[in-house]
Amino acid sequence: MHDGADAVAAADAVTPSDGPSSSGERFDARRLAQAISAVERGGSEADALIAAALARLAAGASASQRVVGVTGAPGAGKSSLIAALSDVARAAGRRVAILAVDPSSAITGGALLGDRVRIDERPDDPGRFMRSIATRGSGRALSHTAAAASLLVEAEGFDLIFIETVGAGQADLGIARLADLVLLVEGPEGGDEVQAMKAGLLESAQLIVVNKSDRPGADRAAERLRSGLSLAAAAPPVLLASAAESRGIAELLAAIDAAAAARAADTSAPPAGRLRRVAAHLVAAAEARLASRLEGAESSGALAALAAAIAAGERPLEGAIDDLLGPGR
Amino acid sequence: MSERSVPIRVLIAKPGLDGHDRGAKVLARGLRDEGFEVIYTGIRRSTEAIIAAAIEEDVDVVGLSILSGAHATLLPKVVAGLRAAGANDVLVVAGGIIPEEDRPGLAAAGITAVFGPGSTIGEIATHLRAHARRR
Ligand SMILES: Nc1nc2c(ncn2[C@@H]2O[C@H](COP(=O)(O)OP(=O)(O)OP(=O)(O)O)[C@@H](O)[C@H]2O)c(=O)[nH]1
Ligand SMILES: [Mg+2]
Repeated sequence: MHDGADAVAAADAVTPSDGPSSSGERFDARRLAQAISAVERGGSEADALIAAALARLAAGASASQRVVGVTGAPGAGKSSLIAALSDVARAAGRRVAILAVDPSSAITGGALLGDRVRIDERPDDPGRFMRSIATRGSGRALSHTAAAASLLVEAEGFDLIFIETVGAGQADLGIARLADLVLLVEGPEGGDEVQAMKAGLLESAQLIVVNKSDRPGADRAAERLRSGLSLAAAAPPVLLASAAESRGIAELLAAIDAAAAARAADTSAPPAGRLRRVAAHLVAAAEARLASRLEGAESSGALAALAAAIAAGERPLEGAIDDLLGPGR
Repeated sequence: MSERSVPIRVLIAKPGLDGHDRGAKVLARGLRDEGFEVIYTGIRRSTEAIIAAAIEEDVDVVGLSILSGAHATLLPKVVAGLRAAGANDVLVVAGGIIPEEDRPGLAAAGITAVFGPGSTIGEIATHLRAHARRR
């Protein structure tokens, strides 16, 4: 339970930690990259890596680490904004990691991960790390491995961790479960805000930014969002920014820090801080196991046999789910 | 969690200064449709940036698309950088307009295949499946 106390203590402390990671070792990008791959593969190696990351974090994590979920419609400018925010954070000596999640095709299993296009490579800067993650059959906007990957990155001592996910409506709410803070990115086009409201994304965001403020309509879009939210109990702030022209970026980063600190201090929404990632990982692992059990039942014919027996009245519907998922507990 | 079989990860990059990436984008989409996880990095990347991206993304394959004629120096630099970073088992292939007489040199530098403008996605996918590391 030490995490909650840490989070409260961190409420207004943002301490840069340029240099070695929390363990004091030199950061090794290849080792972290391979660990994320192992976690994506799953199995006992994945469990061991996650356990090791948790042990490192328990031994001495920086309390000012933030995991920021960045969501919004395709093309809203999520990656561009993350790149701009990263530059500002790096200039302040904060180490920045980016996890960019994109969907896998349900049919081929392939994925096109294009977020690096918007994010300038700084190959000589060990204070940055970026990894693209495909959802791989999780059937959602968020990968099953995002929470675990975030824990591995946190254990490397990164101060600011962005997780980019496409805002695909309710299915995307997983990001709210694991991030310390959700930033919703909107465009200046009229009607977008209605999309976001329909998709239920507004409710899960602690902060909203209308990007592309260099284009006409951004002010009005922000106004409409503010008035649309005015009835909400805790209306999130709506900011304006332009990733293209680097305007409003420092203000946005300050708002992110303030909102994350406020959320960390809010004890009414447990689990707090890092425990969110641990809990989210447990949920993701359970969902993955459920999906693989169901797939197994389908491919082995057990599902078809059960359906036939139920349809023929040979078995009651009651208890059928227990049969499908294996012995109850 | 039990272990899952994973798609082959491919980084598609365009070293050099030319700004045309239609071919690279077609390849990226084509390989996605063949079931690969394709990380596309965009145009005008330095070799250092390509190497760093390949390491961070822990890819199995680096595909370098090049039209600028600088292949003879840029492509071996990427292979050497990857090896120096410890990525010894990453397959490096090239695509683009590369004269026949330059190919032996590239092969000697560790580029396992060069795909000219007439190559099909299916052909490239088959090569990658046959030669990419298994895990
Ligand atoms: N005018 C203007 N264009 C922008 C701005 N920010 C991003 N863009 C453009 O918007 C397009 C999409 O930007 P991205 O950063 O890739 O958006 P994204 O939300 O990450 O997109 P996906 O990852 O595909 O969902 C690109 O063409 C950017 O150049 C901005 O502040 N102003
Ligand atoms: Mg993006």
